[in-house]
Amino acid sequence: MYNFTFHRPTTVRQAAGLLARNPEGKLLAGGHSLIPVMKQRLASPTAIIDLSQVEGMAGVEQKGRSIVIGAMTRHADVANSTVLQQALPGLAAVPGAIGDPQVRNRGTIGGSIANNDPNADYPAACLGLGATIITNKRRIAADDFFTGMFSTALEDGEIITKVSFPIAKKAAYEKFKHPASGFALVGVFVSKRGSDIRVAVTGAGANGVFRVKSFEEALKKRFAAKSLDGLSIPATGMNSDIHASPEYRAHLVSVLARRAVAKATA
Amino acid sequence: MAMVMTGEVQLPASREVVYAKLNDAEVLKACIPGCEELNKISDTELQAVAVTKIGPVKARFKGKVHLTDLDPPNGYKISGEGDGGVAGFAKGGATVALTEKDGGTLLTYNVEAQIGGKLAQLGQRLVNGAAKKIADDFFKNFAATVTAG
Repeated sequence: MYNFTFHRPTTVRQAAGLLARNPEGKLLAGGHSLIPVMKQRLASPTAIIDLSQVEGMAGVEQKGRSIVIGAMTRHADVANSTVLQQALPGLAAVPGAIGDPQVRNRGTIGGSIANNDPNADYPAACLGLGATIITNKRRIAADDFFTGMFSTALEDGEIITKVSFPIAKKAAYEKFKHPASGFALVGVFVSKRGSDIRVAVTGAGANGVFRVKSFEEALKKRFAAKSLDGLSIPATGMNSDIHASPEYRAHLVSVLARRAVAKATA
Repeated sequence: MAMVMTGEVQLPASREVVYAKLNDAEVLKACIPGCEELNKISDTELQAVAVTKIGPVKARFKGKVHLTDLDPPNGYKISGEGDGGVAGFAKGGATVALTEKDGGTLLTYNVEAQIGGKLAQLGQRLVNGAAKKIADDFFKNFAATVTAG
């Protein structure tokens, strides 16, 4: 057993102060990535700063033409939000498809995107809707936020407080689930908001979530699954592991993109 | 588990300059991702401490870096092995070749890496991508150093 100090701040300011005083400290959200690696001794932070008691960090609300989700909102609460199900059902489907009930009752949106696991679902939704990530210091556009596998634009001491999603007229997510972990072997989020068309892919790229510009161009002419007929993406830059080859992942991207557009336009 | 990666970078300097920088401990220290210490034991052997941070995983590796197959200014082989304590071990090497191209130097690298222990067990889903990122970061940093003079 090794020692660490455990903190439970009640305000974002306190949490930021604790983080500044503990350079080897870690924020605890849902704990689904941090706790297992701590048990394995693959990380030994000197301080754990638990965000679960911080006021005002959880909840789903509609603000004008946007849906704002607190960073500590659990996946199950986002999936079951009636506000979200009415305004933007395509987004509600994303946390509803994460892992299993145990994961959905603990895991949080802020933890998921701060970790930026290359197979996580939320990064695809953020990039696929053009969300804005709000921290204790600034607002970051999703296009600038995800900077590669497990890396983000977050600086030391920065804490995600909210994520704001513009309400798209059409939006849907399709994923090919790994049967054991529930992780997205490949997941594709598509949306149409006026002339802004987005196709974001998770799970496939070796460098994490990315947009498929060629698909977006094709969908600008007509937002229909048929517009993607015959289009594919190259296997270079795709992730490769025992579960799937780069070619298979590239193939899944075009199949799931068509399904997602069909779902969004149904 | 083992993995192989290749890549190339175009550098705006002569092969002689690039080769000298590849042998400069200070340059290597600045380029190895997460390198905390790099001390020269001899011209071809260095002692290193590097912190690998991939998502929630953070492991400190202590080990040695060797420079072999020295062939100035055409290239060399840089290899290393590190012990990450409970995290496991990592070892690997990169064959670096320098060729003249477009008034500068084209650096091509061939990386072979192996990891074992808990890191390999737990990280199988991610190890390939992580190793590639570390190799790419190293050569990206190196290119920036050479460009800066």
